[in-house]
Amino acid sequence: MSSSDDRGAPDGAAHDPEDRSPEAASRRGLLKLGVGVLGCGLAAIPAAPAVGYLLYPLGRERAVGAFLPVGARTQFSATPVRIDLHADRVDAWSRERDVKLGSCWVVEVDGKLQAFSTACPHLGCAVDYEPGEAKFKCPCHRSAFTATGVVEGGPSPRPLDTLEIEEKDGLVAIRFQRFRQGVPHKEPV
Amino acid sequence: MRILDWIEARTGLRTLMGHALNEEVEGGARVQYVFGSVLTYLFMQQVVLGILLGFYYSPSASAAWASTAYLNDQVAAGWFLRGLHHHGSSAMVVAVILHMLQVVWAGAYRAPREVNWWTGLAMGGLVLAFALTGYLLPWDQKGYWATQVATGIMGSVPGGEPMQQAIQGGPEYGNLTITRFYALHVFVLPISLTLLLVGHLALFRRHGVTPPAGLSAAELKRKAQPFWPNQLFLDVLAMALCGAALVLLTYQTHGADLFAPADPASNFVARPEWYFLFLYQLLKYFEGPLQIVATVLLPGAVAVTLFALPWIDRAKTRKASSRWPVLTIVGLLMAGVTALTGIAMAEDAANESYQHGLEVAEKESAQARALALLGVPVAGGVAVFDNDPKNQTRKLFKEHCATCHTIEGKGGAEAPSFVDYGGRAWLTALIRDPGDKRFYGGTKAHKTMEPLSVEAVSDAELAAVVEYVHSLGGPELGASDAALVAKGKALWDGKLECSSCHEVEAGKDSTGPTLAGRGTAAWIARSIADSSAKDLYGDTAEMPKFAGKLSPAEIEALAQYVAEQRPRE
Ligand code: FES
Repeated sequence: MSSSDDRGAPDGAAHDPEDRSPEAASRRGLLKLGVGVLGCGLAAIPAAPAVGYLLYPLGRERAVGAFLPVGARTQFSATPVRIDLHADRVDAWSRERDVKLGSCWVVEVDGKLQAFSTACPHLGCAVDYEPGEAKFKCPCHRSAFTATGVVEGGPSPRPLDTLEIEEKDGLVAIRFQRFRQGVPHKEPV
Repeated sequence: MRILDWIEARTGLRTLMGHALNEEVEGGARVQYVFGSVLTYLFMQQVVLGILLGFYYSPSASAAWASTAYLNDQVAAGWFLRGLHHHGSSAMVVAVILHMLQVVWAGAYRAPREVNWWTGLAMGGLVLAFALTGYLLPWDQKGYWATQVATGIMGSVPGGEPMQQAIQGGPEYGNLTITRFYALHVFVLPISLTLLLVGHLALFRRHGVTPPAGLSAAELKRKAQPFWPNQLFLDVLAMALCGAALVLLTYQTHGADLFAPADPASNFVARPEWYFLFLYQLLKYFEGPLQIVATVLLPGAVAVTLFALPWIDRAKTRKASSRWPVLTIVGLLMAGVTALTGIAMAEDAANESYQHGLEVAEKESAQARALALLGVPVAGGVAVFDNDPKNQTRKLFKEHCATCHTIEGKGGAEAPSFVDYGGRAWLTALIRDPGDKRFYGGTKAHKTMEPLSVEAVSDAELAAVVEYVHSLGGPELGASDAALVAKGKALWDGKLECSSCHEVEAGKDSTGPTLAGRGTAAWIARSIADSSAKDLYGDTAEMPKFAGKLSPAEIEALAQYVAEQRPRE
C-alpha cells in the first residue's frame, strides 16, 4: 500500500487547488527545511551537553592518593609486618572517614624499609607471610615470593608490587595504590 | 529511499506519520495555535532532562543534597541541565497560562470541546503539582522550608492532617517524605500527564482548531492549510524561541539556586517559586480561622469557576463581544493574580530582614557548596559543614572550653568571655573592671587586679595605656600609634604601677601574666597548653592544662579561633 491515501500525501501535496502552484510548493519545501533545522536545534539543547554529562567522571585524572601515616619506624624489622592502610574515601558525592583501603607488608631490606601490596600480582588474592620459610605465599594458586618480593614459583607474572614509602622524623607513611593483575609489568589502575 | 520503503512495508511508519501530520487546519495556520505545541515540547524536554538528572540524583534525606550539589557543581554541564529543568518548569507555567488565555479568548472551551478544556485544566494542575514536588527534591533550605509551608497548609485545613501525614510519610519530614515526593514527581505525575496529554491531543484532532469566530464556513474551507508543514513550522518556530529563551536564562542565572542543605533546626526565610507567590500573598490577608479562605475556599472557587466555564458561558456565538461576562471573569482573575504577585515581590524587595536573610542564606550556600567539593560526610546534608576545619575547631571548643568560656554568644561564664576578645575596647573594659562577669568575675582565684576608676585614670590616659598594652602583642595585632604608646608606657611604669605585677618582656616571670605577645595566637596557645606557667597565671591558674590532652595542632587551631574573635578596629 502506498503512503498517499485519500487524505493526501504527507509530503504536503496540496489540499487546496490554489496551493498547487510551484511557488507554493517551494514555499512548503522551505517550511519543511525550517522545521527540520529548528527541530534538530531543539533536540541539541539537552542532547549536546548530555554527552559529557553522562560520561562524567570518565577520562578525568584521578588524584594520586596521599601518603598515609602507618606509625613509628621502630615497629618494623626484617620480619614482615602486615599493616592496614586507612584514609578517607570519596565516592562521588560522599566522603567516608577513615575507611580501610587495603593492606601491605612492611619489611626492612638492607636497612631500608619496603612496602609490598598484599594483593597478589596474579589475580589479586591476599598474600600471607610464612615465618618458618621466610616466604610470602599466595593461598589461591600457590605463587611464592622471597622476603624481598621476588617470584619463587607459581603463576605470578611479576614480583610483589612495591608501594611508595616515606620516612620522616621516625614516622613512616605509605602511599596506597592498586595495580593491574596478571600482567608482567606493574601498571597502576 | 529504498530503506524507507523497506521500513514502510514492514512497519507502516510512513502511513502513521502521514496520519499524524496530515491534518487540515481550517482557516489556515496561525500563530495563536502554537501554545499547545510549545507545552508539549516543554514537557518532553522536561522528561528528557529529568531522566538525565536521575543519572546522578539520589533520593534520600542524607544523599539528596549531596548528590544535587555533586550534579550541579562537579558533573560536566550538570548545572546547565539542572538549570534548564528548573527554568523549564517556570516556562511551562507561563505557557499553560498563555494557552489557557488563548483558549478562553477564542472560546475554545465551549461545546463540543468541554472535555478538551477539562483535560487541559487537569494538566495545568499537574504542572503545578510537578513544581511543588520538584521543589523539595534538592533537600536544600529553600525547598525544605517552602514545602513545609505547603504541607503545613494541607495539615491546617479541616480533615487535612491525615492527608498531610500520608504525603509526608509521618508527622515530620524525612527519608519517607523525599521518597514519596520523588515517586510522585518522577513516576506518578509524568505518567498521569502523558495519559491526559494523549487524550487531550486525540480530542483536539477530533474537533480541530478553533478558528476566529468571524470566518464563514466557506472561508474556512478556502483558507485551509495543511498542518504539515504550515502550522508545524509556526509551532516549531515558537518552540525554538522558547528553547532559546530558556538557554539564555539558564546561562544568565548560571542555572538554578542550590541553597545550603536542609537544616530542620534552623530558620530560613522561605518563599515559594514565583508562580505560587500570589497564594503566599493571599495568605497574609487571612489569618487565624480565616486562613481557610486563602488556602481552600478562594483557590477552590477559582478552580470550580474555570471548570464550569462552558456552562457559565451562555452566549449564542463564539464572538468575543458576546462573551464579555466570561472574559471579564477570567480577566479579573488574571489581574488579581498578577496584582498579588506584584505586591508580594514589592513587599519582599522592601523587607530588609528578608533581604538580609537572603544574603546570609547565599553565603551559607556558597560555603556549603565549596565544602561539598571535598565530598559530603556520609551522614549527609548539614554534615557537610564538618568538612570546615573551623567547624571542627568549634566542636573542639564546645567540648573542652565552652563550659567556662563564652564564644560567638554561646558558652559558660566561669571564665573570661571571648566575645570581641582582646581588642582595644575589650582591654579598656577589662582594666576598668576586671571583676566584671565578662572578665574574671566568674573565676574563683583571679581577684587580685584592682579596678581602675575614672578618678584614678582618665579616659584619655587609659586610651594611652591600652594602646601600649595592645602594642605588646606586636605586628600580628596590627599597627599602633607610636606617640600614644610612649605616653602609655610612661603611665604604665610610673603613675599606675602596672609593672609591679605584669612584666612586659618575654620569658620573665611575674605575678600577673607577662604581656609580651599578649593576644597573639601563639600567646593564647601557650595559655591553653598550660596557663600555670610562671610567666602566665602561675599558681593562681584555674584552667586545666590542655597540653597532652589535645594535640599541638588542635591547641593551635583553638588559639587561632580565639584570636580571630578580636574585632577589626
Ligand atoms: S592470585 Fe595469587 S597465585 Fe593466583
